[in-house]
Amino acid sequence: MPSGARVAGGFLGGMLLVLLPMLLALGDPYWLDIVTFAYLMAGLAGAWNIIGGFGGQFSLGHGVFFGIGAYLTAILYTEAGWSPWITLAPAMLLAVLVALLISWPTFRLRGPFFAIATMAFNQVAFVLVNYLDWPTNGPRGILIPFRAGLANMIFVQRWRYAVLMFGFLALVTGIAVLLRRSRLGYALLALREDEDAARAAGINVLAAKLEGMAISAALTAVGGALFAMYLRYVDPPTVFSLSDIGVRFALLSLIGGIGTVAGPILGAALVVPVENWLRSTLTGLWPGADLVVLGAAMVLAALFLKHGIVGAAADLMGRRTRR
Amino acid sequence: MQDLPSVLIAGVLLGGIYGLVALGLNLIFGVVRTVNFAQGELVMLSMYGTYWLYTRLGLNPYLAVPPIAVALFLLGLLLQRFVLQPLQDEPMMQIFATFGLLMLLQNLVLGVTGGVSMGIDWPAARQVLLIAGVRVSLVRVVALAALTAITIGLHLFLRDTMPGKAVRAVIQDKLAARAMGINVERAYLLTFGVGAALAGVAGALLTPIFTLSPAIGGNFILAAFAVVVLGGLGSVWGAYLGGLIVGIVETFAGYYIDPALRQAIWFLIFIAVLIVRPSGLLGQVGAEEVGFREQH
Repeated sequence: MPSGARVAGGFLGGMLLVLLPMLLALGDPYWLDIVTFAYLMAGLAGAWNIIGGFGGQFSLGHGVFFGIGAYLTAILYTEAGWSPWITLAPAMLLAVLVALLISWPTFRLRGPFFAIATMAFNQVAFVLVNYLDWPTNGPRGILIPFRAGLANMIFVQRWRYAVLMFGFLALVTGIAVLLRRSRLGYALLALREDEDAARAAGINVLAAKLEGMAISAALTAVGGALFAMYLRYVDPPTVFSLSDIGVRFALLSLIGGIGTVAGPILGAALVVPVENWLRSTLTGLWPGADLVVLGAAMVLAALFLKHGIVGAAADLMGRRTRR
Repeated sequence: MQDLPSVLIAGVLLGGIYGLVALGLNLIFGVVRTVNFAQGELVMLSMYGTYWLYTRLGLNPYLAVPPIAVALFLLGLLLQRFVLQPLQDEPMMQIFATFGLLMLLQNLVLGVTGGVSMGIDWPAARQVLLIAGVRVSLVRVVALAALTAITIGLHLFLRDTMPGKAVRAVIQDKLAARAMGINVERAYLLTFGVGAALAGVAGALLTPIFTLSPAIGGNFILAAFAVVVLGGLGSVWGAYLGGLIVGIVETFAGYYIDPALRQAIWFLIFIAVLIVRPSGLLGQVGAEEVGFREQH
């Protein structure tokens, strides 16, 4: 086990490296937007990775927590005038509550059954939010008026958003690094490898899963809130989209390296710019051409890149990573 | 309450459609243990194939069943051999791969068709029958009849034929089946092919009923998962029963509560079943846990 100082140094060095693209893109609004979105998605994938990667609980329902963060922030800000910074607290709280309510029964299910059940929750949330006029405004969604100011989390200068998302990514990554070395982190890794053996070794499997899920859900809700303030618009098909949100977090982690701290960041760093490029060059051919490429990439990644970029890099250097 | 018979009949017929879509999914899920997210897309592809055969060659959609089923059988073999078999012991990677296939096929068809919704103008699709004083669409009755026939056929196939017995042995214990000289990989290949062919049959039969759109598979697949989980993993009659229940619940909820909420209601039922009896109504108890443990 590497020493605490080495880990802290690695974390700081890594974060400086992650900061570099933003500094390079400062003068270029197009690239700055891509970097900003990549930070946000990397943070969200990192949050998913805590329970999905470390804990091996393959949730496809994280859109629910993302939606809680996005909608609660949009509603409290537009209706009650709360600062989005303040709304983060109730958003995290509600996400944790819902996560526990959903997870307590579904954690009995294993593998694909868990994935399908969580996906079903995502669809229930979509139907309900789409149906309710109050408080979610149904299919029309919620438009957040532009009132710039730090307290409103709305900025004129785009780079401030990049800093905000970077802060989120750094927070998620920091928590992942700490978790990876904590008692809970080891419990999650153990139960991912073999649930029965973990239980036999004295680990409270259900408690560990619930704690991991709660942390993951709270961070996902924060990401959802930031997403809402960044786009200043939330509506059901965007927030509860399976291919763009619910499954996307898992996809980024997979491509980067599932269950590693750096994986989600590398996945987002590769996928977000490539997808942007595909969308701008291929959509001229036909709408959805970029998704054909992305779909094919998913199949190929599952077949040939099982341990992601992190695993492939480790292979190249001639040693297997400790996953 | 005078609407009750018509709502019930509409529900049973909708259940026939869901059961038809879920049959192949259930077979693949139950035997190969693969969660095939792309199953709805296989149905969608078959619908477009049937549409194409009808508009270009004037082929009766019901006569399109054999060629479409054969084409889908071959496609299923290719998918199993080159995509899913290499991922046999990695259920998570299979979810990724089949979800990738879903995105790929859906958007490919979107590109080819330009996203225009289309339907076939087939006179027989407008035929109406009178059942217990209720007017019902002939093509929907045919779909339910076909589901019943296929379910019986599949039941007999699994019960009485050698390949069927091999498939059942593989479901029960992969290792022991291998020790008895059963070629497990070939059983999987056959099952996936048949599962895909069933998607083809469903697609051809549903073409006269639905307006075609590239995203239609997404509507089917979630319903089909609900049917499979409700009825019971790998149970042929479970898919039949589950299909009817989902169809009836959806129709009743849509009629008596609110059409916008009907999906949420059967999703909640589906989740309740997952929690209370994860093996489904007719499934083997414990399959949801034991079945996915690694077997070598």
